[in-house]
Amino acid sequence: MPKMITEQNLRALIDLLVKEGSRVVGPKAAGTMTLYEPLAAGEELVLTELPRRSAKEAFFPLCETILTYAKGEEGVQVNDIDPARFPETVLVAVRPCDAAAPGILDAVFSWDYDDQFYQERRKKTAIIGLACTKADDACFCTAVGLSPAETQGSDLFLTPLSGGGFRVEAVTEKGEKLLARYSQLFGEAGSAQPLPPAEPGGEKLELARIKAWLDANFESPLWQEIADRCAGCGACAFLCPACHCFDINDEGTEAKGARRKSWDACGFAKFTNHASGHNPRDAQNKRYRNRLMHKFKYYDDKFGKHLCTGCGRCVRACPVGIDIKAVLDEINSK
Amino acid sequence: MHAEKVKHDFEPKIVAFVCTWCTYAGADLAGTSRMQYPSNVRVVKFPCTGRIDPVFILRAFQKGADGILVSGCHPGDCHYMAGNFHARRRFAAFRKLLEFVGVDLARLQFSWVSAAEGGKWVEVVTELTERIRAMGPLEEFKELELEECWSGKIDTPELQEAYKAIP
Amino acid sequence: MTNTAQKLDTIPLVDSGYWSSVTEAIRTEAERLLSSGEVTAVIGYRAGRRSGTALPAIATSPEQARELVFSPGCVNNLALYLTKAKKDVAKKGKVAIVAKGCDLKALAGLMGESQLKREELVIIGVACAGVYGASADRSLPLSEETIARKCRECTVHAPEGVDLTAGSVPALPQLSPEEAEELARLEAMTPRERWAFWTEHFSRCVRCMACRQVCPFCYCEQCYCDRNRPQGVETSPRPAGNTAWHIVRGMHLAGRCAGCAECERACPMDIPLNLLNRKMAQELKELYGHEAGIAPKEKGPLAEYREDDDQSFIK
Repeated sequence: MPKMITEQNLRALIDLLVKEGSRVVGPKAAGTMTLYEPLAAGEELVLTELPRRSAKEAFFPLCETILTYAKGEEGVQVNDIDPARFPETVLVAVRPCDAAAPGILDAVFSWDYDDQFYQERRKKTAIIGLACTKADDACFCTAVGLSPAETQGSDLFLTPLSGGGFRVEAVTEKGEKLLARYSQLFGEAGSAQPLPPAEPGGEKLELARIKAWLDANFESPLWQEIADRCAGCGACAFLCPACHCFDINDEGTEAKGARRKSWDACGFAKFTNHASGHNPRDAQNKRYRNRLMHKFKYYDDKFGKHLCTGCGRCVRACPVGIDIKAVLDEINSK
Repeated sequence: MHAEKVKHDFEPKIVAFVCTWCTYAGADLAGTSRMQYPSNVRVVKFPCTGRIDPVFILRAFQKGADGILVSGCHPGDCHYMAGNFHARRRFAAFRKLLEFVGVDLARLQFSWVSAAEGGKWVEVVTELTERIRAMGPLEEFKELELEECWSGKIDTPELQEAYKAIP
Repeated sequence: MTNTAQKLDTIPLVDSGYWSSVTEAIRTEAERLLSSGEVTAVIGYRAGRRSGTALPAIATSPEQARELVFSPGCVNNLALYLTKAKKDVAKKGKVAIVAKGCDLKALAGLMGESQLKREELVIIGVACAGVYGASADRSLPLSEETIARKCRECTVHAPEGVDLTAGSVPALPQLSPEEAEELARLEAMTPRERWAFWTEHFSRCVRCMACRQVCPFCYCEQCYCDRNRPQGVETSPRPAGNTAWHIVRGMHLAGRCAGCAECERACPMDIPLNLLNRKMAQELKELYGHEAGIAPKEKGPLAEYREDDDQSFIK
């Protein structure tokens, strides 16, 4: 029998999880926008707006310390960060375009190097997805094979019901467990109908066709055309749920400091800059090309997936109006 | 000869950015004249106040300074003719910026101390040290230094310790 | 007709004929410049895929000139494309640029810093009624509700010193100076409160560098804040380094910023960066009488001095 949860009980569930010591992360009001942030109480949850930044932060922090060092009397002491101490996390009200991302990123973070920091966070996180009932003109999840009602990537999936509350679906074993453990908060879904899913606009993209064009067009005037406009910031990559490049920096003094891993973006002029001063991507056209190629060709070649969930964040954020959907439409029509 | 050293609860860290031609020589004169001034001040020597980038001030605050002194030649005395004139404008602007961001300007002192003004050096340094001592430690930058974005934060006692160990 | 009165702040500020007449003037001039060979490229705007949006466009043929537009979505300061940071554009030869009044101030600043030569540039000035704010609903017309904060206090609707003015400035209502009010509110706070205000904003910064990359005056080929040996500012996106970065940026732009507020518009985390720049502009005006204007100045206030400059803050 399908289950349902009222909005009130969803907030109560958050309160309960927080009380039990879990870190609960969900959309929360942050100044002029909504961001995925740790919730102190269920009432903080914002259900109406797509967070400005994606949920990838829960697995792949904006900046994390990977070791600290200090010079003492017995020489330099290096303290490794033990991933076993990462907190158990429940991600709440995650949109399908965000929930789909970790499933895509698992491939690269467990590929030739087994990234313990990512893996451990992933293992300790349960995702409660939320179907979208509202889309704007930047959204294009349906064009890249997802949908506003896509359950994949979520452990538990909520669909808003017309009379209020949500239909609850356990997608994975983790989800089943959550459902069983807090069964007192879930009721039987009656005859209430789910709200119609959002309808993102945009022509459907033939990703195989786009990949075939990318296979053949490493050199194309298109890259320069876009690079002429590109300002070279990292807004697109930093808001993207699937971009996962990072940089490692040692910061501190000779006596004490930390090694930190933080997000990097292929838009930056210093991206892939070698210590020698040589940079294989020494011009913006090569860097923008890398952005598209990585998303729709290289990742596909390697893992059979593409690095785009159609959330539209890069489209909304680009300060010079570069619209990846428009670029893909153009390639699609070639 | 030495005055009795008074024990204080709080010994502020003061960083002095000085030019080598005037203030550094002035401080040196204070030393060779056996004048006493608080040992809280750590002197960093530059060719000219014109070389003292506002970033140095910012970074000193970030790395634990409770008060900062910037000092150089009197107007007209610059070894490089106009270095201190340029510095004067730059610092006039920078202190307004710091104030707007919320830094208490009582923690940042500027002065002209010539090579002959050992006494003025002692006076400036003593006054600044006592002022900062009365104000207490500069907490804002220290708190900020320990802050992490939520996603990178790990609440373990060991890590908290490790972070606290970073000055 | 319905009886529902339209909300006052959603009334269109100008009629749609204004936009099309500016657009037509830009197109005609761009087409003429390109077909006569007077310039090899025109930097302007074209419509984006999403309704109400526009993006920078570099037209190199008369056909492309016909695609240029002017709409409330033309938010970018195109002066960026004439800087060292965008060398590829300069390679296209002699260029013409579409510039709003605020963009003209940036062009003047760049000329003052010897980054541009007026005689090598054709400027198509726009008689500008204002553009959308970063969070505006672009399905609505330009109104008091959707207009950018900087445009509420614009003093350069009509461009000066340009080669051609596209359109004419329509009658515009006086709007309340929101940004000036916000600045005054901040100034009235205690230092502790201001520190809390700014560090909250800076803690959200992701260091995407959009503020730097869209700034016409951030044209350094090697940004001081990107260096790590020696490191002046932490590059990691932590609150401490973010705060240092924004303070340093504010300082490096003091006396140079033209007030186009592109940094603030580009910020994906909605940090009110122009308040920092505006505060510095206000201080430098008070201290040294400097103001960013439409006429290039050879030296900015922090590149020159007077022997009798104020030194009341120095012991």
